[in-house]
Amino acid sequence: MPKSPPFCAIRDVLAGDNINGAYDGAMARSWAPRADAGAEPVRDGASALAISNLSVTYGRVAAVHDVSFEVAEGDCVALIGPNGNGKSSIVMGIAGLVHRRGRVEIFGRPAPADDVSFMPRHGFTLVPERRQLYPQLSVADNIVLGGFSRTRSLRRARASDAHRQALELFPELSDRMKQKAGTLSGGEQQMVAIARGLAADPRILAVDEPCLGLAETVSRRVYDVLRRIHESGRTLLIVEESPVRALQLATRQVEVRNGVVVRA
Amino acid sequence: MKLGNLIISGIVTGSIYASFAACVALWYRVSNILNLAVGDFAMLGALGVDNLVRVHHWKLAPAIAAMLAAVAVGAYVYDRIVLGLAQDGRTRQEGIVVTFFFTFALSFFIEGIAELLYGTDVHAAPAIWSGQSLSLGGGLHVDRAGVLVVAFAAVVGVTLALVLRGTLQGKAIEACGENFFGARIVGIDNRKYRRLLFIVSALLACVFGILESPITGYTYDSGAAISLTGFIAAAFAGFQKPGKAVVAGLGIGIVEALLGGYVSANYADTILYALLAAAVLIRPGAMGLDVVPE
Repeated sequence: MPKSPPFCAIRDVLAGDNINGAYDGAMARSWAPRADAGAEPVRDGASALAISNLSVTYGRVAAVHDVSFEVAEGDCVALIGPNGNGKSSIVMGIAGLVHRRGRVEIFGRPAPADDVSFMPRHGFTLVPERRQLYPQLSVADNIVLGGFSRTRSLRRARASDAHRQALELFPELSDRMKQKAGTLSGGEQQMVAIARGLAADPRILAVDEPCLGLAETVSRRVYDVLRRIHESGRTLLIVEESPVRALQLATRQVEVRNGVVVRA
Repeated sequence: MKLGNLIISGIVTGSIYASFAACVALWYRVSNILNLAVGDFAMLGALGVDNLVRVHHWKLAPAIAAMLAAVAVGAYVYDRIVLGLAQDGRTRQEGIVVTFFFTFALSFFIEGIAELLYGTDVHAAPAIWSGQSLSLGGGLHVDRAGVLVVAFAAVVGVTLALVLRGTLQGKAIEACGENFFGARIVGIDNRKYRRLLFIVSALLACVFGILESPITGYTYDSGAAISLTGFIAAAFAGFQKPGKAVVAGLGIGIVEALLGGYVSANYADTILYALLAAAVLIRPGAMGLDVVPE
């Protein structure tokens, strides 16, 4: 989907907004558009992600009601809305992490509701709210586990291009690989969570509240990384309570109020 | 000489406790449930093989294979029906009832079945490596069954360490214990690991029971004491670190043997519980009782 002029203009301004020029060299090398981007063709007429009548309930509490929207390949969609209105439940429902009703298709394939490995295996990875790392495991182990949906071999997971590129994207983590993830700062933990997500080599990366609790400079760094990931050919789904930054990167927005999509 | 033989005896029983403690700690990390039935699988292996060989005149190898198959099927069915109902539904049940009673109930159930099938007498599986105890020189002796138990425990321990540290599956098991939700995000199906480890624990316990029973003999209610000791050893490691649980299990085995030799076997359990209580009071952090930060 072509980007609308206002989004492009804002994004171009942000392109020079990298808070640390040291990252540029490594990123430029590693994050050229993926050679295999779109290598697995989308089935005729199918979106990268198609959500139909998605509902999520927790016990008797309905968090999401009959939500439907589509995401085209290469899109960057901002899922916005006030806190507690069902945005995170939507992405967790898509990922199969919570009980859901409705239909979720990824690249034309219907996703079963009770298989947590299906979505990462078929190219959808979630970087969840509050990171959800493994605090007593090392940074290296946290990141390599991102490749679990692709292989059961530790050697292959470490040697994969996706794993290498995920590490190159965050050079500041290179001397912390043996450190326990729980001892990192919030910003570093967010980087580990994104690197873990990228180690799965996703075609669609969903990021839930990527800047929650982070300082402004770190938030800018995170969005700079997300922009580069999007430019590499990946589809992005960004969940944000405060939409200003997300809308600067997004090509589309889906607004959620009280568990219902009010604008798509 | 007496001290040496007591230590050898302690290492034999300690290696069983160590293996059981590692199984309890490992499974707890994945499922948040304490396996208090692990000793009953050992009892089932010992008495089942004895029954098939002595009463039904089976050969030893097919009898062992049949008991291992029966235990694996039983563990699988229990996981699918009972544990699945508790944890795999729309809401995952957690808390003290699930943590303790789901396997506590299984322990009572297995004991009841064993009493019905095998009676209340002491029995033992036929020794796989029969003969006089081996002399280590200097008046030290070790049962052949004891050698097999220690060797099997060493193989299990080394394999466990290699799997946990050197494979992606092992790291996935660690991730399940660290963060249930976080593990599911990368596509790790905790239910499969819970089921796999429960079955593997049951099979290992069954093998230990078959190997060790020629030394001590088992009755239908022997499993509870073994489970409890494994539980204590795992508790010393805070139910978090299988490696620490192994060390604690070995230590308990040696302390128990020394207490039995120099004081009285009757006080051994009491002293172990006192040590556990003291450890909880003195180092709650090491027992996994502190709040783990995100």
